[in-house]
Formats: sequence, structure tokens, C-alpha cells
Amino acid sequence: MPDSEIRPSAPSDLEVDESLHPGVELALLRARTRRHFLRTLGGGLGTLFMGTLAAKVARAAGVSPEGEALDFTRDASSPLAALPPQFPAKVQRVIYLHMAGAPSQLELFEYKPELKRFDGQDCPASFLAGKRFAFISGVPKLLGSQYPFHQTGESGHWISDRLPHIEKHIDDLCFIKSMRTEQFNHAPAQLLVHTGNPRLGYPSLGSWVVYGLGTVNQNLPGFIVLLSGGKSPDGGKQLWSSGFLPSVYQGVQCRSHGEPVLYLDNPPGVTRPLRRGMLDTIDEINRQTYATFGNPETVTRIAQYEMAFRMQMDATDAMDIRKEPDSVRAQYGAKPDEASFANNCLVARRLAERGVRFIQLYHWGWDSHGADAKEALNLGFTDRCREVDQPTAALLADLKSRGMLEDTLVVWGGEFGRTPMRENRGGQEMKYIGRDHNPSAFTLWMAGGGVKPGITHGQTDDMGYEIVKDPVEIRDLHATMLYLLGFDHHKLNYRFQGLEQKLTSVKPARVVAEILA
Amino acid sequence: MTLPHRLSASTGVGLLAAPILVLLVLLVFLPPDGTERSAWAQFIGRFHPLVVHLPIALILLVPVMELVGRDQRFPYLRASAPFVLVLALIGGIVASLLGWCLGRSGGFSGPLVSQHMWSGASLITLCWLCWVLHGRGGRLEVIYWIVLGAAVGAVAWTGYRGGQISLGENHLTQHMPGAFRKLLGVPARTATDPAIGGGNTFYGARIQPIFTRSCLACHSPEKRKAGLRLDNYAGIMRGGKHGAVVKAGDLRGSDLFRRVTLSSTDDNFMPRGGKPPLSPDQVKLIELWIADGASGTASLDSIKGAPAGVESSARAEVTFGKIDFAEVAKRRADVASTLATLRQRFPNVLDYESRGSADLVVNALVMGDKFKDDDLAALTPLSKNIVMADFSRTAITDNSAPVLAGMKRLRTLRLMHTRIGDITVRSLTDLDQLESLSVFDTAVTPAALPALARLPKLQRVYVGQTAITATSSNAVKEKLLF
Repeated sequence: MPDSEIRPSAPSDLEVDESLHPGVELALLRARTRRHFLRTLGGGLGTLFMGTLAAKVARAAGVSPEGEALDFTRDASSPLAALPPQFPAKVQRVIYLHMAGAPSQLELFEYKPELKRFDGQDCPASFLAGKRFAFISGVPKLLGSQYPFHQTGESGHWISDRLPHIEKHIDDLCFIKSMRTEQFNHAPAQLLVHTGNPRLGYPSLGSWVVYGLGTVNQNLPGFIVLLSGGKSPDGGKQLWSSGFLPSVYQGVQCRSHGEPVLYLDNPPGVTRPLRRGMLDTIDEINRQTYATFGNPETVTRIAQYEMAFRMQMDATDAMDIRKEPDSVRAQYGAKPDEASFANNCLVARRLAERGVRFIQLYHWGWDSHGADAKEALNLGFTDRCREVDQPTAALLADLKSRGMLEDTLVVWGGEFGRTPMRENRGGQEMKYIGRDHNPSAFTLWMAGGGVKPGITHGQTDDMGYEIVKDPVEIRDLHATMLYLLGFDHHKLNYRFQGLEQKLTSVKPARVVAEILA
Repeated sequence: MTLPHRLSASTGVGLLAAPILVLLVLLVFLPPDGTERSAWAQFIGRFHPLVVHLPIALILLVPVMELVGRDQRFPYLRASAPFVLVLALIGGIVASLLGWCLGRSGGFSGPLVSQHMWSGASLITLCWLCWVLHGRGGRLEVIYWIVLGAAVGAVAWTGYRGGQISLGENHLTQHMPGAFRKLLGVPARTATDPAIGGGNTFYGARIQPIFTRSCLACHSPEKRKAGLRLDNYAGIMRGGKHGAVVKAGDLRGSDLFRRVTLSSTDDNFMPRGGKPPLSPDQVKLIELWIADGASGTASLDSIKGAPAGVESSARAEVTFGKIDFAEVAKRRADVASTLATLRQRFPNVLDYESRGSADLVVNALVMGDKFKDDDLAALTPLSKNIVMADFSRTAITDNSAPVLAGMKRLRTLRLMHTRIGDITVRSLTDLDQLESLSVFDTAVTPAALPALARLPKLQRVYVGQTAITATSSNAVKEKLLF
């Protein structure tokens, strides 16, 4: 927990609660020797000198002591207050559609006729040398796309027959065919996509954005997470964790039916004024606690109580898709009272309309290994496509018709790609058809504010296996998203463990200028 | 020379012979083998090049003294020669011991090193012989002169070899002007050709980057494991203690290729120590390059069938401007106090467009139907500063038309789900910066559209869920979105 910064005074090694025992004070005074004094004196003088020197150096370099550091401090009572971006932003909000499990790009967007030609043949040894796979062993067979492709739209993009609705928006999409990652297992790869780091403990993309920009609607969380039921993503709740940022910036997972957050409504017999009075008392106690200990988590606690109180008014309304006409629900394929991607897309549009900054959707079941019918490219995969196709298209259509696609960024993608080889778990031919994980190349698309519509960036080889043009790292994607939101990714940072931490971490990240409109 | 001199010297003969013998034993049994050893050996060894020049100068001084001393005027020179020889001998022994330390400290091995070493050892032995033979007269005088001549030759040879070790094999001819080259039959400049390793050469663009990335942890100029450095063309072609690693046009004879293609579990496999093996593409590139003659200058496209590298599109980099906060504060001075007051009244509704801007954005949608016409009227003092405004879902009506019409710098205006109608839209004719207007789900009709035709920058009008349909013909038809 990042509580070291605001702690009123860090206790030194000699300071303990002296009231514990009357003899302690005397013992402490005796223990303080001339050496202690001299040591403290030396350190103190050194620090003073360094302090003046640093200021001089900074002045000589023409920067103020604060440099160009951006100020993200807010009033303790409103930690989610909106702040202007560093630069005029192209994008006001993000809707991130994550297909957990990693959808096969070769069955959706990557048209590879050469691969089809070699379908069923042994994979060349050069594909296997030095590679690690989750399940492929021995020599697998190459596997052509399971579905026919055709060209569509003015952009002439190739697309398979699995996404007939999204296809209608093909000229609004900006494809990155050359995404790559350094992780080949789901949980760390998802963590990398959403926190910029494959290990636990780092703030998610949404947390950084809400930390940097706050949110305009204080009656709703700034960062909302919606799951479509089924399996939760392997990365778990860490994917929307605030990491070392104050936990007020973490994603709030909302349910798609019933109360959006459990126990949000008042229980029978508790009126709203009664609730208010109760919260006021709790807040007062919390404020006293904060004054004593200075732990920012206490501020988070106060803010969360207040947020929950305000959400009682607005959240239930925002999340209630019954308020939409039947025709709109039909467009999305949404059915009230169930957890589904369709419902979540409709909710995402309603939240975007209400000024929610970062809306994160997770769909599940895209891990098409072919180990069983559910994860077979010829069975379960088709269901997954059907589940996301219509609602995604409806979401794009709604945003577009309202003019909101101008300043909303929609991102669709998984955590890595899939191999052009058919998976042969245990070296055996499997009953169902599937593909293994391929971290070396995957496809992601964006639509909306600030990105060029109807273009493709990057390219893979004829087998769709390795990138041959314009590789884009996860950190480059992050830098690009932050750029669209109005930030230089170096400047959106938070001091933790002695380092100005940032989403893009320490390796150089590049804004993918080629896709910017 | 007189007898007493010789007698007293005989002990000296033995004294000086002893360290020479020790040195020879060291060289025979503990030769430099390229293995890295203690820091002390390295530290001491580094003084070898420094110290070695003293005995060189002294040895070269002896024949000069002998020759000039033949003149009647300088007889003392000949008499002093043994003294100089002893100094040279002591210096030479010290330098040799240092040289041995340097050789043993790691990274030195191969024919060049052993030639330098043995030549140095011979030189010391010759010096010792000179000293023993000096002034014996008669036939020994002739032998003395022969040995002295041999010693001078050994100085030249040892020095040349030493120079090759530290400066490169061709250090004497490297910068030799063309005329001399012809005269001496030195082949025309190739090894130092500036074209070697250039970005448009196959070697420079495709091969060296592989070595730089995968091999320099061990085969750098500093470490030189197995005496091999792979940081430049000369080093690659020179090879290491086991001889050449790349033989032009001879894949089988190229040890480097053999090792990178072994099974990764083989003891001789490279790169070792858990480093990732070369990719199939990288191996293919090295194979093609060696087979083609391992040239340092062959152009990038001269070798056919090379796996394609990762291309990059032409890169237009994004640049981030700097914000001068003092200057920003100046520009904001006009609006700051009004803004502060209004922000009290409408929390989260008003803000600057960015940290470096004095322009404002309005997000009234967060207030919903609590935001009414008179609230909008309160924004009038700031109307010239507002560049984006969203009044969606608020309770504003056509009564607000004059206020909206005064926001002349608006680029984006959203009036979705409000009670505004044609009157408001018609009043927007002065908004010459307006690019995007959304009247989604309002009472706006096709009758209002002609007014919008006069807006020069208008690109998109969102008219979904209004009375306007795709079939209604009008002046802004191309800009309508449904």
C-alpha cells in the first residue's frame, strides 16, 4: 500500500511511545549519545547541501523545481474529480472489449491463402526451433482457416464469414495485425495487456486513466468492469486492480442484472435520510482516523461510501436495460436478467452516455485449443463469434449514430494470437480442431476517436505466424491509447518505491503514429 | 677484458640465467590459453606494453654503442655496452614476466600470441648470450656480432607480432598509402574498407546485428572468450584460439556455423549459458552469407533467398510539446475567476480543455434534467471560451438558443435527448468553427437543415431519431448521419 507518502511523520529508530513506561523516556535520553547527534548532524547538513544543489541544477537547466510534472492531487473528498488532460484529447472515454482466451485471428481477420494451401502438411522444423508452446508437441500439422474469407467494404479488408454484423462496420475499424506479447499463458498475458506488466500488483489501464483524468459523473464509478458470465478471465480481479495507485481508482465490477453492485439498495426499513445520517457518522470517524494516521486508503473508504450512496440513485438506472425500447434490445440481442456480452454492450453504451470514463468488458471462452467441443474452432468458437458479433456491431452503430464514436475509443482484442499449426496435445491428433497460443503475432482492432478508420497496420508472414512488418508491443498500444486520451505516457506517472511509475513501464514505448487520424 | 672482471661476472651469468630458465619453464608449462584468471594477473599484465619499450630501446642502443665505440674518440662506449646489456636483460625479463601475466590473464591464445611469446623469450636468451660473449675477442667476437644482429632482428619480429596482437594483424599496412602498397606488393585496401559493415551491406544489415545481439555477452573486445571477438568483421574473420570460425564459402569448415546448428544440448552449442538459440531465420542468414563468400562489402540485395527481416513503415513520430505553466496561467487570467465561481455552482461540468489551454469544455450531461435554461444562461460570460459542449439529457429548450448562438468557438455541440428544436438549430448560423453537431432524439425537423449549410467547417450532423430521414433532400445531405 502506498501509505508512506502521507504518513504524518515517519518514526525514527529511537522514537517509541514513551508513555508506555515512565522509565523508558529516561532510558531513551541516556541512550542518545554524542555519536547520534553527530550522525544526524552530518546527514542533515549533507541533505541541506544536496537540496540547494539540486535546486540550482534544476534552475540552470531551465526547469522549475516541479519540472513539467503534472499535478494529479485532488481534494480528499473527491478523489475521482475530473482533471483536464495534458494535451487536448481526441478521446474522452474508452470501451475495451477483451476476448479472454485469445480469439484465433486466422479464423476472423487474417486471410492466409498460402496457409490454406499447406493445410494438413507437417509443420516445417524452422517453425518449431526455439519456440515454446502451451500444448503442441512433436511435429504438428499446418491448419488452414476453417472458414471462408471474402473482401468487404471500401477498404477491401478480408474477413471471414463468422462476424457478419461487425463486417458492416469494417470501414470504421483500424486493424493492428502485428500485435505481439512476451507472455504465452493467459493470466500473465492478460495482466500484460491490462496493467503493462505480467506480474501482479500493477495498476490497470482503466485505473491509470481514471487517476489521470478522473471522471465527469461522480454518481457512477469512473472505471466499470462487466463480465459476460461463464468463466472469469484467468488474470482475475487483478486485471482491474489499482495496483499501487490509491484503491479508489480500481475498477468496479458490476453485475449485469439485479442490483449492479450487491447490497447497493437499502434494505427494507432503512430510508435514504437514515442511510445519510449513518454515513455522516461513519465519515466523521473515518476523517478522524485519517487525521491521525494519514493513510490514503481511509480517504478511499470515505469516497467509496459516498459513491455507493450516490450510486443508489443513478447506477441502478444506468445499468437497467429494461429502460431501453424492445427494438434496441433486439438490435443488441440483449435479454434482461441474464449475464451476457450482449447485455453488457448495451450497458456499456448507457454508461458511456452517462460520462463513465473507462468501460471494460470481458468475454470468455475464446481459448480454442480443440480439447473439447466448447473450445473447438468448428464448434464453441462459432458460438463465441455469435455471442459477440451482433452486440459489438450494435454498440458501434449506436455510438456512431449519436456522434459519440468521435470521442470514444473502442478496442477489441485478446491477450495473444493462435498458431497456424493445429494443436496436437500429447503429440496425438485430437478429435476437435484447435490452435495453440501464439504470442508472436495477433490481431487487435480499434474504432473511434483519433484513429484512422478502415486501415490495417502491420503484417504477418504468409502463414500468419510471425510479424514481418511494423510490430506493435503491448506498451506501444498503451502509449498510443494514452496519447489519444491526451497524455504523454511518460508524464502520467505516480511515485512508488522510489520510481516515477508509469503504465508503459521502463522499456521504451512508441506511440503508433501511423494509425493516428 | 681483464680476468677479474670475467670471474666476478660468472656469478652474474648464473644469476641472470636463473630467471631466464624460470621464465622458459613458465612459458612451456603454463602457456597463455585464453582462459580468464585473477584480477591481479590482469592488473599486473596490463603493464607489459608499458615496460617492454625500455629493454627494446636498450637493446637497440647496444649495436650503436659498439659501432660508434670503434671510433678512437669514444672507446668508453664499447666498454659500457655490457652495462647496457645487463639493464636490457633485467628489463627484458621483467617485461617478459609481465607479458606472461597478461597472456595468462585470459583472452590471449593462438599462433600470434605464442609466436610473440617465443620470440620474446629467444630475444632474452640472445641478450644473455651477447652479454656472455661480449669482449671475448677472436672468433667469439664474430659470434658476438652475429648474436647481437640476431637479437636486433628478434626485437623487430617480437615487436611486430606484439603490434599485431594489440592493433590488429594488418596494423602496419592498414593505412599504407596506395603507392607504397603497389611497391611492396601489399594487396589493395580491403580489410579497412569503410564499406565493410555499412547499412547497405548484407553483412552490416543482416549478419552483424545477429552477433551483436546474441554473441557479445562473451565475444566482446573485453571478454574475448576463446580469443574470439565477434563485434566487427575483422574479429569474425580472424577467429579465435581454435583458428578461423568463418571460412568464406566453406560452411563445413566454418566452426561458427557448425556450433550454432548443433543440438542445443550439445556441449559445443552456441550461444550457451541459457541464452536463446538463434532463430531459424538467423541461422539461414548466416548460412547464406558464409556460402556466398562471407564478404563484408557484398550489398544487401546481392544474396538471394534471404529471409525477410521485419520491415517498418515510414515513421512519423509523435512529438509532445512542453507546457509553459506560467504562460498558461496568463492566458487563463481572463476566465479563471468566473470559472471558479461557476464551478462551485456546477461541479464537474466545466473544465479546461487541457493543461495547457485556456479553452473550456462543458459536460452538462452529468447534471441531467437538473440543468435548465437559466443554468445555461449563467455560462454566458464564458461563451467565447467554450470549444466543446455536451448538453445531452439536460432540460434545456429552445429558450437557450441565443446563449448557444453566442458560443461562437464551438467545435463540437451535443444536444441529444433534449427539448430543443428547429429554433435552436437555425440560430447556430454564426458558429463558424462548428465541426460536429448532434441533435439525436430531438424535435429537429428537415426545415432546420438549410441553416446548417452556411457553416463552413461543419462535417457531421447526427440526426438519428428525429423527423429527418435519409430520403429528405437538403443542402447538408452528405453530412447527415443516422
